[in-house]
Amino acid sequence: MLRIEFQIRPAGISSKFFAIDEQVTSLEIDNALPVTGGSVFLSLTVQFAADISEESLSSQLPNVRIMDMSEAGVTQHTYYLNILTDLSDASVLSLLTENRAIPHRIVCQHSYLEVVASVCDWNHLKEVAGTIEDEHGPLELVGTTQTESIGFPLGGNKIKQSMSGKLSDKQLEVLETAYRMGYFKVPQEVTAEEISKELDISRSTLSERLRRVEHNLCALLFGPRT
Amino acid sequence: MTTILLIKSVDQQRTVREAFDSIIDADEPVHFLRLPTIRCLGPLIQEINPMIEYGVEYTINCLPEGYDVADLVEFAVEVDADRICIGISDRTVTGKARIDDLMESLLLDEKLSGDIIVGEDIIALEELEYET
Repeated sequence: MLRIEFQIRPAGISSKFFAIDEQVTSLEIDNALPVTGGSVFLSLTVQFAADISEESLSSQLPNVRIMDMSEAGVTQHTYYLNILTDLSDASVLSLLTENRAIPHRIVCQHSYLEVVASVCDWNHLKEVAGTIEDEHGPLELVGTTQTESIGFPLGGNKIKQSMSGKLSDKQLEVLETAYRMGYFKVPQEVTAEEISKELDISRSTLSERLRRVEHNLCALLFGPRT
Repeated sequence: MTTILLIKSVDQQRTVREAFDSIIDADEPVHFLRLPTIRCLGPLIQEINPMIEYGVEYTINCLPEGYDVADLVEFAVEVDADRICIGISDRTVTGKARIDDLMESLLLDEKLSGDIIVGEDIIALEELEYET
C-alpha cells in the first residue's frame, strides 16, 4: 500500500472560503458525513488572518449552512466549524472514496490544496490521479511512502482539537520545535542546549515547558492523578 | 532481471548500495543511466565496485540534453528493463520520499505499469511492463 501526497488547485469548499473578504490562512477537512439529498456534513478547522464572527461568515457563504462554530483556543484566529453544504463542495473527497482511495488529510493553503491519501499500488495511484486530474486539472505528486497499515481516514486533526486549551502557545512551540529538530528521535538528533538556543530561552525554561507538556499529555491520556 | 539505476548525482552512494544490497541479485545486468548534468560516474563506480563486490555486469549510459520521461522510457524499452531504480534525494516534512518531475512523469506514464517499492534511499519500479 502506498501513501501519497499531492497538490491540486483549490476546489470545492476551500475555494468558497478563500473567496470571502476575510483572509483565510488555511482550511482543513477533519471529517465528512454524506447526508441524503446530495448534501454533506463537513467538520473543518479554518484559520483566518483575524477574528471573524459566525454572522459575517454566514453572509458570505450563501449556500453553506453553519451548524456550529467554536474557537480553537490554542492557535489564534482558528475555528472549528461544522457545516452542511452541497456534496460537490467535497468533490476531491468524493473522488478519492469513489475510487477506493483512503483520504487522510485535505488541507488548503492559499494557492493549492494538499491531499494525503492511501492507494493500493502503482496502478491504483495512476487511476486515482487520472480521475482527479480530469475533474480538477493538473495534479502535482509531492511525495510517497510505503505503508503496511491503511491508517485512519481524515480526522488527523482530532488530537489537536482534544489538546485545545490543554497546552499553551509557548508549550506548543517548544514541543513542535523539539519534535521538528529531532529531539524525540533515538538517537537524539539535537541537544536540549541547541533547542534552547533556537528558541532563545534558557535550558531550565525549556526543561520546565517540556515537562508541563508531558504532564498535560499524561493527564489527557490517563486522567487526573489521584 | 535487467535494472536501470538512474543517477542524478555523484553523491548517490547510499542509493546505489541499497539497490545492490537489497534489490539487485548477482549476475543481473545493470545499466547506470546518468543525467546529462553529471559528467563522470568514475568515482561513484570505483567506490561501489559493482563487478567485484556484487558480481554484476554493468554499462554506463547518459540521458540526452533536454531529456524527458520519453527518453527514459525509450531507453528502458531498448534494454528491456524489468526495473528502474531512482534515488530519494529529499523527504517531505512528514517523511515521504519527495517526488521530482521525472519521477512524477514516470509514475503517471500511461505506457508503464508494474509495482513500486519505496525504500530508505531508493524508489524501485519493479516488474515493468510497457504498453506499445
